[in-house]
Amino acid sequence: MSDPLLSVRDLRKSFGEEEVLRGIDFEMERRDVQVLMGPSGSGKSTLLRCVNRLSEPDDGTITLDGEDTAAMDENDLRRQVGMVFQGFNLFAHLTARKNVSLGLRRVRGFSKSETEERAEEELERVGLADQADSYPAELSGGQQQRVGIARALAMDPKLLLFDEPTSALDPELIGEVLSVMGELADDGMTMLVVTHEMGFAREAATDLLFLDDGTILERGPPTQLFESPEHERTATFLRRLTDLEAGQHG
Amino acid sequence: MIPAIPFVPSTPFVSLVPLGALADWGFVLGNADYLVGGLAITIALTVASILLGFAAGFPAGLIEVYGGHYSEAFVASLGVFFRGTPIVVIIIVMFFVVGISPAFLAATFALGLRSAAYQSQIFRGAIESVSGGQMEAARAVGLSRLQAIRHVIVPQALRRSIPGFQNEFTIVLKDTSIAFAIGLAELLTRSYDLFVQRTTAVLEIVLFISLLYFLLTFSTNRVLDALRERFVIPGGEG
Amino acid sequence: MAERESRTGGSIDVGGRYDPIEVLGILAAALFWGWLGLRWLNDWFGGLFVREGQAFLPPSTFEFLPALAFAVEFAPELAAGVWLTVLLTIVGIALGFPIAIVLAGARVYGRTTRWVALGYIELVRGTPLLAQLFVLYYGLGLSSFIRELPGVGTVSVIPEQAVWVAMIGFTINSAAYQAEYLRGAIESVDPGQLRAARAIGLSQIDGIRYVVLPQALRYAIPGWTNELIYLIKYSSLAAFITVPELFNRASSIASENFRYLALFSLAGLFYLALVLTATNLTSRLEDRVAIPGLARRDERLRERSQ
Repeated sequence: MSDPLLSVRDLRKSFGEEEVLRGIDFEMERRDVQVLMGPSGSGKSTLLRCVNRLSEPDDGTITLDGEDTAAMDENDLRRQVGMVFQGFNLFAHLTARKNVSLGLRRVRGFSKSETEERAEEELERVGLADQADSYPAELSGGQQQRVGIARALAMDPKLLLFDEPTSALDPELIGEVLSVMGELADDGMTMLVVTHEMGFAREAATDLLFLDDGTILERGPPTQLFESPEHERTATFLRRLTDLEAGQHG
Repeated sequence: MIPAIPFVPSTPFVSLVPLGALADWGFVLGNADYLVGGLAITIALTVASILLGFAAGFPAGLIEVYGGHYSEAFVASLGVFFRGTPIVVIIIVMFFVVGISPAFLAATFALGLRSAAYQSQIFRGAIESVSGGQMEAARAVGLSRLQAIRHVIVPQALRRSIPGFQNEFTIVLKDTSIAFAIGLAELLTRSYDLFVQRTTAVLEIVLFISLLYFLLTFSTNRVLDALRERFVIPGGEG
Repeated sequence: MAERESRTGGSIDVGGRYDPIEVLGILAAALFWGWLGLRWLNDWFGGLFVREGQAFLPPSTFEFLPALAFAVEFAPELAAGVWLTVLLTIVGIALGFPIAIVLAGARVYGRTTRWVALGYIELVRGTPLLAQLFVLYYGLGLSSFIRELPGVGTVSVIPEQAVWVAMIGFTINSAAYQAEYLRGAIESVDPGQLRAARAIGLSQIDGIRYVVLPQALRYAIPGWTNELIYLIKYSSLAAFITVPELFNRASSIASENFRYLALFSLAGLFYLALVLTATNLTSRLEDRVAIPGLARRDERLRERSQ
């Protein structure tokens, strides 16, 4: 067995007085899909941001493919770790194609024709080849998020981070994004996903991590956590999610 | 009119070191009273112009939003004239062509009416930013149109116009210096009179009055900031 | 579908039909600028068609309409002043622009440089332009320094020293004002986009360059239009450091023949034509670079107020 792709050891992060992450430990093998759940303010987004160093950890070590991320060039690290945002954060002045191309040209140094070809491929992969020349404001939220995923994929990341990718979307648009994510999981992409979509977690996740108050309270395969959680807090939280989802879709 | 230029300092960069031994700060300090007198005129001119600008600009803004076809067109075209012409031209026309005197009054009319043209736009924008729903709601509780404007729209619009008003205040303050063109003895004109007398102290004098202007604009802005804080609607967007 | 419809939203083309007022406007602009161009060429080359400052057609041709005859008589001299007005405006805005980008960048992203930029911007914006011109012209004696430079004042194409001082003054002044407009525009670009740029591995500078600035520059166009109009009007202050621009010429002719109203009305028309041209051009620019699907800022504001 080779080293894990990602290993997080005793990760700590504070904002001012408030300690948001208080010693996080976990590992991800290649092709793993791990889903992070937990109440708001439990530190899920901060955890993701520490992995690609959009936030600098205060303490602890994170290694990617055996390499200490703290010692890596931050831009090089981010090229290897893709990120999909809650608010899409598409570049508003660029078409879908150009959104995907920017990193290929400016970070990976592809030629014009390589860039063109690769951007086309990635948009096709998320089912948006026909919208390549649309600007973000001309796309629906679901389409924008799929462009966001294509933009991250174009960098050939070893690991893809999703920060609540569907929580800014209208319910009827969530499905198209989740199905793209499901396909990526099937293709063997390693993914660390913050989401409250139980259906996605149940079907795609290899592991589910329940984060509470800056620590991982409980972890395990989704069926185990959903059916027999050890902690009362986990149970309450998941029950509330189930009720919410039933209310939303029913 | 453009004053005849009596001299150009002959040695270049002679006064680049104004704090040095040769500097003429003593001359500046010796004439501080004279300059402060100019400062008083500058302040008086600013206040008078802003008040005139408010008195004319506020109704003009209302007319641009709620007025009839002709009154609106009249106010709008006057506004274009005053906003499109350099202030120095307006000042000179007021003094030499319209023949208002003394110079202080001519400058007040020029700066005041030009400011009215800008203030009307500030108020118009502020009134339009108060949502149409407010008017409907006011009419629905039985207020007349005029009452609705007066008690519901205007109080909100006035609060919202404070930032634009702040900007306008500093513009008028700085532009009082252009009354130099008609020889009004405000701060800049007095500095000119002084440095024409003592050509070695030019830089010291101009820097000194620039500092006075800066302190004025800076403190006015802080006062208006405080005003805005005070009148902000709790929880509202201003 | 719904999102496709927005494509046609920003278009101004009315299906190939011409708006008569727009055509008239374009004709008037062509006439005005064509005439100005010919005047300038004539004067630069020492009287290419007629003597410098002399009308192309004798004013007596228009005796039937005294106002027109008056305009024809004095317009050529004012046209020479318009050249300096235009020159000062363009130089001020063009040279101020790169400085403004650096200042605005420092103001938003800098640490210690933020305070330097803030100090510069506040000092310039807090003092009268006329006082700034006095500092440069009388205080520093810049003009006698420039007079020593080769070519100045002797070669006819190179403007005389006072013009150079004014250009420096307007550049310093305009940089500060443009920086404030740009800062506002930069801050209106959603910071999430810069984060996304960093997340695909772009450096901070590249993220600003390829993602933030292209959008901020678009959002800055309305402010930029204001600045252009401001410069056109306030270039008249160069008269007080002896630059013979439009206002100065009108003023000195009036001091000889005492026809203040007529001359300043004529000068006013010139200023109006310059301002209209400037707003028209920037509005066209704004339409041309508009991002599809996103309303222009004034349209966005209008929508919000409804």
